[in-house]
Amino acid sequence: MGHAEGMYIGLLVVAGVALLAWRWRAVKSWAERVAWRPYREAGLLVGLLILAFCVVSLLTSNSPWAATVVVPVTVWLIFCTPQTVRRLAPVAMVVGGVVGVALTASRVSAPATYAGPGQGEWASAVAARYESWRAALLLESVVFLAVGCWLMWRARAQAATSVRRPRWGLLLPLAVAGVVLLVNQQEGHAAVTAAAALAGAALLIAILFPTVSADLAAVAVAALGLFSLIDVVTPPRGVAGAFAVTPGGTPQGPLYGAIDRPVVMLAAVECGAILALGAWLLPRTIGTHAKVLLGREADAELVGRVQQLTQTRAVAVDTAAAELRRVERDLHDGAQARLVALGMSLRAAERLIPTSPQAAIALVAEARDSSSKALTELRDLVRGMYPPVLADRGLADAVQALALDTPVRTETDIDLPGWLEQPVEAACYFAIAEALTNAVKHSGGRLVQIRIRHAGRPAPGVLRIEVTDNGTGGADPANGSGLLGVERRLATFDGILAVSSPVGGPTIIVMEIPCALSSRRTSSC
Amino acid sequence: MRLVIAEDLFLLREGLVRLLEAHGFEIAAAVDSAPALLEALLEHKPDASVVDVRLPPSFTDDGLRAAIEARRQIPGLPVLVLSQYVEQLYARELLADQAGAVGYLLKDRVFNDDRFADAIRTVAAGGTVMDPEVVAKLMGRRARDEPITRLTAREREVLKLMAEGRSNSAIAQRLFISEKAVGKHSTSIFTKLDLAPSTDDNRRVLAVLAFLNS
Repeated sequence: MGHAEGMYIGLLVVAGVALLAWRWRAVKSWAERVAWRPYREAGLLVGLLILAFCVVSLLTSNSPWAATVVVPVTVWLIFCTPQTVRRLAPVAMVVGGVVGVALTASRVSAPATYAGPGQGEWASAVAARYESWRAALLLESVVFLAVGCWLMWRARAQAATSVRRPRWGLLLPLAVAGVVLLVNQQEGHAAVTAAAALAGAALLIAILFPTVSADLAAVAVAALGLFSLIDVVTPPRGVAGAFAVTPGGTPQGPLYGAIDRPVVMLAAVECGAILALGAWLLPRTIGTHAKVLLGREADAELVGRVQQLTQTRAVAVDTAAAELRRVERDLHDGAQARLVALGMSLRAAERLIPTSPQAAIALVAEARDSSSKALTELRDLVRGMYPPVLADRGLADAVQALALDTPVRTETDIDLPGWLEQPVEAACYFAIAEALTNAVKHSGGRLVQIRIRHAGRPAPGVLRIEVTDNGTGGADPANGSGLLGVERRLATFDGILAVSSPVGGPTIIVMEIPCALSSRRTSSC
Repeated sequence: MRLVIAEDLFLLREGLVRLLEAHGFEIAAAVDSAPALLEALLEHKPDASVVDVRLPPSFTDDGLRAAIEARRQIPGLPVLVLSQYVEQLYARELLADQAGAVGYLLKDRVFNDDRFADAIRTVAAGGTVMDPEVVAKLMGRRARDEPITRLTAREREVLKLMAEGRSNSAIAQRLFISEKAVGKHSTSIFTKLDLAPSTDDNRRVLAVLAFLNS
């Protein structure tokens, strides 16, 4: 077998990481859609169990198997623990990586010195497995260490809270599947191995592709746990097989010995925990869905959606009312007042014409001036309500016009092969205008870049707007109501706003609004 | 001088016709939609035209599009575009063909009828007239690393007035300097903006365009 096993693990890890990175958005939305709490709680349980086992194993023997779990346990703990603990993620990862490297490099006892039962052919097989495990673990630990260092380096300027949840924590099921496969490599049990592998694959597919329901994932977890447990604890190679003795009392089981005992026990504990996780999940996924389907319980997703819609609708109504009040006030104090003044000037001029035409001319000039000012005010008002260039040309040109009017150099990169709906267009326009104003007023940057793209998937499509400035950063959406208002306004369209503004810059504002592009101009009124 | 006028609001159209006739212009056609405007421009080939940006049928920027289309078919056809608001974007589009004979003004500028009539004559003679508001916005920009920043304050002032369509003598009067000094400043502007020697009118158009593109 030799190094092939290490290769398997390495390949599994690489494939898993690649898959997760590729489908990360899907994984995230899946994680948000399913009730994540059971995973986290059960995961915490698994992690603690394995950690306890690990510590005991480290303290009582020279076993290298403890090292096999240091890395995944740390990942799992980070992944499952609350936010406050997760802040220590980079540190924990570095520590875990160092421990892993140290253990694999030093504490593995040389198989040549092994003097327990079952020497000879079996001992050389164990030696070969040692080598492959060492290689795999070393690789794993080094990767872990590197990622930890990278995260620490990246987080140096930012608050500890901004550390992202490590994506590959989800890989533990894969690692377990790998362990099960390895244990099974020795002999027989082909059907069970295949079933376990399939269950693991189903689980991964369910996680990676959100179209597959969470129910399938729960079933897969339970099935994986059950099959693995049966496989591990039944003779001839399981826990029972490992300790089998001949009728004469001589140790006979191939795993009888100081070295392999922990790994079998570990596998059993892991498999048991996976089974427990599956059992925990089943009523929470299939059970809940069944209740919803039978009409006994409100669909939590729909309830949440209704709440969100109620909230955003209230905001939209408030915003519209406030806007109307502003327009009314502006008209009252501005154009209306000017028109009154204009009328009065004209009336006075009318009276003055017979007696002093010179004074009348001055008054008429004043009236003309007044009408000019009224027009200017009306123009500004209209621009604030619905900018004419937006009405004429749509978002792309309106943003271009905005960029031209911005005192700081502003580059636009807009690719919109169709028209947006007008309300969405207006919301986007004012959001960009606000971001630009902030960049000009507060960032101190010399260049602003606006990038607008539309993606067709997921349906109905997503409009993505990025406004980047090369200023000093440190923008906080919670501080000052501008961006907060934009966020609320976008929420009416299920849009979101994210701000990244580390001290020292750059500031990147990203907005995403789900919306479709149409080939023709459409109007809602 | 023969004019074509395009304005969809009856009162404004009649007002414009009366005002311009009082200033000695001859109105070849006064139309109320973009298709009619394009037709009138191609048919009459007027000395100048006064065009509202927003016209039927779609009530967006149909007037502007019709004017640009007419200038594509008859290069350099003098067009003065009027609008309730001014956008640098539209100004750039109008000037993009570099043929000059373009104006872009706010509708309020009609109040000052003498200046308005002058603007039409400037456009008819191949000059460019940009609304002071467009020019002011351009002047409001700062911190941009472009050729325009190489100009001195006085040269920028001269360029600003040039963009508004004023003649050298008008600029001289406005800035209280001699016409010769204005000529010197404009030569310096043309050099700094890397404009190749050609007729003074054409270089003025290109200078304004460079200004807008800055």
